[in-house]
Amino acid sequence: MENNEKFKLQVTELATRVNGEVEESFGVLVLKVNAPYIIETLTAAKQFADGPCDFLHDLCGMDLVDHFEVVYQLTSLRGSQSLRVKAIVNRENPVVDSVTRIWQGANYLEREAFDMFGIIFKGHPNLKRIYMWDDFEGYPLRKDYVTEPIELRNITRTRIEGE
Amino acid sequence: MDVTLEKRLRDDEALMDKNFVVTNLDSLLNWARGHSFWPVTLGLACCAIEMMATGGPRYDISRFGWEVFRASPRQADVMIVAGTCTRKMAPLLRRIYDQMPEPKWVIAMGSCANAGGPFVDSYSMMAGVDKVVPVDVYIPGCPPRPESLLYGLLQLQYKVSNPAKVRLMKHGK
Amino acid sequence: MSINETEELILNMGPQHPSMHGLFRMVIHLEGETVTKIVPKIGYLHRGMEKLAESRTYAQFIPYTDRLDYLASPHNNWAYVQTVEKLMGVVVPERAEYLRVIFGELARIASHQVCIASTALDMAGWSAWSYAFRDRERICDMYEMTAGSRLTVNIMRIGGISAEPPAEFWPALQSFLDDTPEMLEEYYGIFFGNEIAQGRLKNVGILSKELAENLSITGPVLRASGVNYDVRKAEPYSIYDRFDFNVPVRNGCDSYDRTIIRMDEIVESIKIIKQALRDIPEGPIMAKVPKVIKPPVGEVYHRVENPKGELGFYIVSDGTTKPARVRIRPATFINLQMLPIVALGWKIQDVVAIFATLDAVLGEVDK
Repeated sequence: MENNEKFKLQVTELATRVNGEVEESFGVLVLKVNAPYIIETLTAAKQFADGPCDFLHDLCGMDLVDHFEVVYQLTSLRGSQSLRVKAIVNRENPVVDSVTRIWQGANYLEREAFDMFGIIFKGHPNLKRIYMWDDFEGYPLRKDYVTEPIELRNITRTRIEGE
Repeated sequence: MDVTLEKRLRDDEALMDKNFVVTNLDSLLNWARGHSFWPVTLGLACCAIEMMATGGPRYDISRFGWEVFRASPRQADVMIVAGTCTRKMAPLLRRIYDQMPEPKWVIAMGSCANAGGPFVDSYSMMAGVDKVVPVDVYIPGCPPRPESLLYGLLQLQYKVSNPAKVRLMKHGK
Repeated sequence: MSINETEELILNMGPQHPSMHGLFRMVIHLEGETVTKIVPKIGYLHRGMEKLAESRTYAQFIPYTDRLDYLASPHNNWAYVQTVEKLMGVVVPERAEYLRVIFGELARIASHQVCIASTALDMAGWSAWSYAFRDRERICDMYEMTAGSRLTVNIMRIGGISAEPPAEFWPALQSFLDDTPEMLEEYYGIFFGNEIAQGRLKNVGILSKELAENLSITGPVLRASGVNYDVRKAEPYSIYDRFDFNVPVRNGCDSYDRTIIRMDEIVESIKIIKQALRDIPEGPIMAKVPKVIKPPVGEVYHRVENPKGELGFYIVSDGTTKPARVRIRPATFINLQMLPIVALGWKIQDVVAIFATLDAVLGEVDK
């Protein structure tokens, strides 16, 4: 597959530019970069000369105990290319740039990742909890989150005004 | 409804003919209430689709006179909690219940509304809707079939039409 | 303030509202009857599926996927088990693949029927609703014959399918397929041909192609905006590359096209089922899968074409019997982002119609 080779070349070239690593997993290229480079990486991936990955398919957080990752699944509506970009985020200070300026569709997905992992997306227009209520404490999908016992959960919470 | 109960009910009806007017009016009211529930549409999750199917052409809830699904809780007297009640929803569910006029009844439809169902160990769930509102009839199933919902409503009808009898049954007499 | 100016009114719709398809809530800012701002609020049905998956084994999580998009539960099962199969390298027997396609396409038809029904219901069309539900019961019957359940079917297993359809399944399916042209004609006649429905749907809520792509919108909503993209064609999973079918595309970008494209999809689904019935081989329905499912360390992302959009599963395995992370990419959660943008400037009753055409299922939106 000549096309595939070209695409791979592009990704490795991009990886050297942003100090990233390239892996391959089940036929999909995975590009790992550090959080500060994410905007540069995604902008470049959107404008690849051969097979631009211009469709943000999914965005999710991941907890790897010592650090967080934000995983971007990129595909295209005009080809079969796909790329998975992972941004490595510091656990103590989980901040990463928001990609809502590149794809408007990242809006809810970033809010979800904030809600579940507490990752702060810098530059997001409305970074609030999306699933849980506003005064919920903790970030449920973190590995160190302990679910409250059922006796505590059974107590009906008071309604927040405007809900 | 087992056979002895039905027999007792028939005996009761025979007695009722000789009774005072007040008792008769009460039972007349209860009879009317039990035969024309106005449920509030509170479809929370998967069970709501089965609730809709119950209202649909095949199961046809209007055979029993309960088809008047009301969008506003102020016009309804039965709340069918069809689906998962999360902690975020719980105070709002209570609010809807509080807005309903008396007398009112609650049916917990499906295992999520009964006891939390498969999601009970999740951080956002509570173990059943009876922690928020008093429940009259529990319908198990995930989701219950439309026949189960009809049976549950029939049980509620029995309960509403014979309040004293149900109270006795509860104490094992 | 002059006499023509009005004060802004904030209207709260939902979470308990008949046209909100579950527990969706939107805060609508109104200028007269014109919408100036919409703030959607979700999460009233958030059950924490992704967290639950981490404490369940791979096989135990299959029933939970039923409760995601409960109108098309076989599809969710399918997406999940295919992801695990990809991770483990299991090859599914031929007959199981064909049966999966048949059940998947039946689920697509059932889901679209509910979409048409509820869109009609949101515009107070009771009779269209009851016609669609009447026909949907037949699909529920077919589920029930095979899997024992009407709604949350849980029919797929890792490595195959749970049960062989009984003898009475095939004539039921055949008669259903035979009746579909008449069925569709009825829907056209009672709903789409109706002047009121056309007036309320046509040219309402324009979602342009560029906006749709930028918002990561998928499924029929994207195709109604003139983008020819379907995972079944673009990246054929299972055995979809063997069937001859078209991807319906419409260029109207409005509510009407977003609804009627589902009718076109029903026609294509019927075509696929007919081909599957013709070609289905005899043979086993389960591959040899170890009793304890322990995929190797790795991660895999897999997506399928759900009736409502692309459903993706991203599973990370750490080599134990429980997944380290299961990420669900809900289609309607992402599609919902178009609502506050597209519905601006329309009247309040149009917002209800636009929301109905998204075919949002809150089980999937909230997970």
